[in-house]
Amino acid sequence: MRDKIKSGKDVIEEFFNNILHVEGVDKKTVDKLVELFSENKLTDSNIQNALEELKQAELEPRKEKDHGEN
Amino acid sequence: MAKIKSINISGLRGIKDLLPLDLNKKSVLIYGDNGTGKSSLTDAFEWFFFDQIGHLSNEEIGRRKGRDALRNIFIPDVEGCYIELKFNDSNFDNMKSLSSSLSISISNISDEFNNYIKAAQSENLILRYRDLVQFVIASKTEKLTELQKIIGFSEVANVRSLLKKNAGRIARTIKNANYDNQKNVQQSIIIENLGRNAHIEEHFFGGSNELIKQLKLDTEIKSQTDINRVLKQIESKEDTELLDQINFFTRIWEVLSEVEGNVDNIQESYSAYHIFFTKFQEDPEKITKLQLLALFREGQSVLNNDIVQNDYCPLCQQEKNKIELIQELNERIEELEQLAGEKRQLDELGDELKQQVQSNIRTIESLLKEKRFKNEEYEKLNKQIEGFKKSLNEFTEELKKKFTAKLAEPSEIKIDKIELAKFVQHAKVTSKALTDSKSSNIKFQIYTKLFQASTAYIAYQRIEKEQDVLTKQQVTLELIYEDFIKRQEEALNEFLAMFSQDINDYYTTMNPNEKVKNIKLVPLKKNDEMVGITIEYSFFDETKTPPIAYLSESHINCLGLSFFLASVKAFNKENEFFILDDVISSFDRSHRARFAKLLADKFSDYQVILLTHEKEFFELVSSDVKSRGWSIKNFTWSKESGTGVEKGTHGLEERIHKKFEEKNTDGLGNDIRVYTENVMKEVAFNIEANVAFRYNEINERRMAPELLDAVHSRISKKGKGLKEKANIPRVKGMPMFIGNTTSHDNKYNESIEDLEVMWEDIKKTIHTFYCNNCKKFISIKYFDNVENRIRCGCGNLSYDWKK
Repeated sequence: MRDKIKSGKDVIEEFFNNILHVEGVDKKTVDKLVELFSENKLTDSNIQNALEELKQAELEPRKEKDHGEN
Repeated sequence: MAKIKSINISGLRGIKDLLPLDLNKKSVLIYGDNGTGKSSLTDAFEWFFFDQIGHLSNEEIGRRKGRDALRNIFIPDVEGCYIELKFNDSNFDNMKSLSSSLSISISNISDEFNNYIKAAQSENLILRYRDLVQFVIASKTEKLTELQKIIGFSEVANVRSLLKKNAGRIARTIKNANYDNQKNVQQSIIIENLGRNAHIEEHFFGGSNELIKQLKLDTEIKSQTDINRVLKQIESKEDTELLDQINFFTRIWEVLSEVEGNVDNIQESYSAYHIFFTKFQEDPEKITKLQLLALFREGQSVLNNDIVQNDYCPLCQQEKNKIELIQELNERIEELEQLAGEKRQLDELGDELKQQVQSNIRTIESLLKEKRFKNEEYEKLNKQIEGFKKSLNEFTEELKKKFTAKLAEPSEIKIDKIELAKFVQHAKVTSKALTDSKSSNIKFQIYTKLFQASTAYIAYQRIEKEQDVLTKQQVTLELIYEDFIKRQEEALNEFLAMFSQDINDYYTTMNPNEKVKNIKLVPLKKNDEMVGITIEYSFFDETKTPPIAYLSESHINCLGLSFFLASVKAFNKENEFFILDDVISSFDRSHRARFAKLLADKFSDYQVILLTHEKEFFELVSSDVKSRGWSIKNFTWSKESGTGVEKGTHGLEERIHKKFEEKNTDGLGNDIRVYTENVMKEVAFNIEANVAFRYNEINERRMAPELLDAVHSRISKKGKGLKEKANIPRVKGMPMFIGNTTSHDNKYNESIEDLEVMWEDIKKTIHTFYCNNCKKFISIKYFDNVENRIRCGCGNLSYDWKK
């Protein structure tokens, strides 16, 4: 029984290993969170910045295209 | 897993000279009176592993993690102090030193050691009496926090909080941005210029083609590039000023429409804030009580850190049971934390309102930066728009109010929506009128409309995209948060079940056949959130919680001890040793015996360092644990050397010789008596002298006369010549052997010369039984069956002995 007990580390690692299988999630958002976790950079400000970057990257291509075409 | 081979401590806390302890991976029972330095050993250990001494790390004693109070005050400034631990795995051996300037150095700088120490820091290695009941009497929130810390779930709680925080933040951003309102504003501009809405490109390009139809440009708009090309094709340099003016009013229309669409949300947020705020005002005591929270927390810390050690309240100086006082404080803190939670909710409402207001103010400010507002003709317009900004600022001012002030009623602080709507309409109409002013110039009109519609459609797309990205992020964070909670709770529940089983097992071992059973740690939830852990147990088959109500201090301590031991079993992966520092002080005799048995039976694989100042407990268990291979040590303290270890018979003999050399009679008689008692125990054991049965604790305190009688009687019956040679009656008649346990410390008034004679006689008697060659006593185990002689190990010393 004792071996079945998960440590906090086990719970977190298992969660990040399976996070993509959660139904209905956005892959880019999840990838970013997994990346931060694997680099040991999962902090509030890093998550906030990463999500903002993702948002800007989603908005940027159109802007670049517009500029390119102008 | 790591066990300790040896400990060397010098110059730390009460330990002045070198304190060497060779444990050779064995458990050890250490006895020492209060003040002999047992806790110095624990403190040094804590510093070695955790780089701090918790109970010394406070403002009063020292801020640098207890380092200021770590050095022994009697050691010269030039001397450093250290603790050196050697383990079964020599890769972990390390000496940690503290210089006179309080700088720390370690001898082992390997990665292996560094990793070991890091891992060890999350383990349960030390339990002191003062920490024993902390978990049991802690509030439910503290129990959850503490348990999460011990089981490595603090990081889990952090990740959980990060996910929740970010999901919440994005949800607030979406709400505050009011994307639907922004999109509606852009759509209304598109409708105004194309005569239809356009949510997708097909509709927008279709509408644009309809618009340019009458220009017969022989082109079809299929992309934004086509729009730009057409705009370039039909633009006229002469109309720049008019176009600029139209754009100016369109911008006013756009910005103020957006603000207009946000007014209801702002009013709603203010009403919610107002309700919460006035609810707090209705009970002014709430605010006063909240101000006490910091005081109670400080009091809790003072008591938990043992700054107040006795049973009294440090504030009112009244006598008060310390455990009860801590528990009362915990309960009041819990109550106030509930209140603090309500206050946080109010602050969150305030923050949300502030963000909404600030966002609209920023939008208006960016509009007011338009160059045209510098023209005199737009001064009135400028003032009117400034008026809307001022209305918004009034909300911010209300948010600054203290609880003693009256908050404006929601009806008193309304933004004039009708006035705002009129203004929006005016800007819209003006923009249209300016466009229509050149009704004869179709090209200009079409250019203006296409330009306005195109700008609005690009803005619409961007807003929609941003809304889409943020919504995806929000949904994702909410989904994974839900998944995370599920995983966390499953793991925690599995752990609690196992952990509860162990706690119950240890507790009932120490308290068999009592009415408390089925002890369980139970998680508490509120709004699907885990908010704490409580201890549940059956009391006369009825479920009870919290524990303190029905348990005595001794039982609460048993529960705390069970919790620690269960933690050791569950979570210590690197170390197979732990220190128990004076943990049985409140235990009665039967609990003490069962506690020792619990350690010996269920923790036989572990190296236990058990410190006690309880002589009775020490005597009760020392024989038992010794037979199980434990070492037994006595701590002593002197001003000259600080903490030291009583060196047993050999050390005692050295001390006796030293006193003779120095002609020092102080305590010499007692030393001779103790030495003789120790030796005669060995003699009695080896020749199987019969002594009356005694329980352990009394057995340990057998006095020399009883032992001398038993030995004399045995050798009288069995030995031949031995009785005469040993001459035990001569020894027994010496003054230090006349007395009882209570007279142990009596001073003997004999002169040094008398004592020298007695000592010589005692040595003669002892050497009758002891071989100087093989350093062994004559013993039945060396009995020569052929010659019927009792011998020492080498046979140099032997006597006739009847079978």
